[in-house]
Amino acid sequence: MSYLQVTQLNKHYGHTQIFNNIDFTAKEGEFVTLLGPSGCGKSTLLRCLAGLTSVDSGQIILQGQDIVPLSPQERGIGMVFQSYALFPNMTVEGNVAFGLKMQKLSASEIHRRVGDVLALVEMNEYSKRFPHQLSGGQCQRVALARSLVTQPRLLLLDEPLSALDARIRKHLREQIRRIQREMNLTAIFVTHDQEEALTMSDRIVLMNKGQIVQNADAETLYTAPVNAFAAGFIGSYNLLTAEQAQALTGQSYGGQVAIRPESIVICAPEQGISARILHHSLLGSVVRYRVLANNVELSVDVLNRSVDSLLADGIEIGLQLDLVTLREVA
Amino acid sequence: MSRVEGAYHKLIVWILMVMLLLPLVATLIYALVSEWGATILPSGFTLKWMISLWSDPRFLIALWHSLLICFGTLVLSLVLILPLMFVIAYYFPKLDALMNILILLPFSVPPVVSSVGLMSLYSSGPLVLTGTPWILIGCYFTIALPFIYRAISNNMQAINLRDLMDAAHLLGASTWKAALLVVLPNLRKGGMIAVLLSFSFLIGEFVFANLLAGSRYETLQVYLFNMRNGSGHFTSALVISYFVVVLGFTWVANVLNKEKS
Repeated sequence: MSYLQVTQLNKHYGHTQIFNNIDFTAKEGEFVTLLGPSGCGKSTLLRCLAGLTSVDSGQIILQGQDIVPLSPQERGIGMVFQSYALFPNMTVEGNVAFGLKMQKLSASEIHRRVGDVLALVEMNEYSKRFPHQLSGGQCQRVALARSLVTQPRLLLLDEPLSALDARIRKHLREQIRRIQREMNLTAIFVTHDQEEALTMSDRIVLMNKGQIVQNADAETLYTAPVNAFAAGFIGSYNLLTAEQAQALTGQSYGGQVAIRPESIVICAPEQGISARILHHSLLGSVVRYRVLANNVELSVDVLNRSVDSLLADGIEIGLQLDLVTLREVA
Repeated sequence: MSRVEGAYHKLIVWILMVMLLLPLVATLIYALVSEWGATILPSGFTLKWMISLWSDPRFLIALWHSLLICFGTLVLSLVLILPLMFVIAYYFPKLDALMNILILLPFSVPPVVSSVGLMSLYSSGPLVLTGTPWILIGCYFTIALPFIYRAISNNMQAINLRDLMDAAHLLGASTWKAALLVVLPNLRKGGMIAVLLSFSFLIGEFVFANLLAGSRYETLQVYLFNMRNGSGHFTSALVISYFVVVLGFTWVANVLNKEKS
């Protein structure tokens, strides 16, 4: 039996079905990401796990106990919100202590545990500050500490990094992952950012329109998308129709074919499929070329090794396609 | 900004200040002189108007009445409106649109009309209030409602109520505890604005006070009205005293508000 098992979970508002027969599990200490475009039902699913939103039918079994009938207070689940949701009238210390005060622990016990958890998120110097005196990243670290201090059975993170700037986001990402590993916490993380999902997760549950599309580890999800949606959402796959794929490879395909831009190799014009560069964009470590080959437009990613290796727009090149990297998707 | 522009801005501010302060200063001077009739300059300064005002038991009773009615109304309003607003914001957010229309009603009905309605409403059972000061509290509640509702509702929208409640629930707080410990303290700013606004408005209210209670329960404004045939210096002293009382309360409230944050 898994640590967390969600079976046949359903939720609708009026006539709109938010999600449909959701099944997934999480092992103890596993970091599972719910990934999907906005409106796919991932945030509502998370709120249902927390008990903040009721479900229509289905079971959520946590440590062998169905928690669907329990109130949020009884579930022993911690949650971090995108908006931080820190209590503005309390100091950092007061915010973190709130959950322990509700449990009516002794003052010395509260003081000790608040100190420990603030040290864990490197915020103990700020314990007397109020939330409005902190930056976004600091606020989110306090919110994380507040949800960890009660030692929850499950940690839920609802797009906790979306409101932060890129540099802080990266740092906090690593910090969350480190703490989660150290405490062996089972965490469910919601995001619409594929990079976040790929770098942080043990396993990714990709959702679209209230359904689970694919449930796999990052590597599988990236290299073997099950359908066109998965291929389109993860990475920047080239999606080709069967005819386009045949024009390029000479083989016949049953349906759409996906190929990742970095698995196409650029070579001398006489060596591969002849192609022409339309334009290029610099993504930093990678240069992305738009090329035209046999009347098919493709994206090709090349590692940006040096200024000299940059190819000018309009020149003729050759392309090599490794057939094993082509994936037929439904 | 050029020098000419700066001078122009200053001039506007000064004109505004003079326009606002001149009547007050004139009233103050008038309250402090013994005679200022046929001459350009007053004939001499005296405190006798102030002393006779503050030693008039009728004035002190009227002041007491006014304060009692004002604070009674504010307490009643806060006790009723705060939970109401919490329930609307948290459970029935759609009702907010309806409330926004309802709170305009006290303004849309002229006081003369609504006081007749209020009198007939309160002169028969189950709640007979006509002729008692309580009718004023009931009536002032409806006038204070728009100020209090608007100020607190702005504050409520600014605090992200839903996430705060969710967070408190997940940390083990009941809805009561969450509302009391997390939501209420964060409404202090809006609540303070609401109270100050309503207080200074209510203590100056005359029409309802005169129509509903009149001389049976004299408030400051009714007392001022009843004294209108007496000495102008005396009524000036009254106006200044009334102004100082309002100023005093506002200042105390501000100090208390600052100390806490």
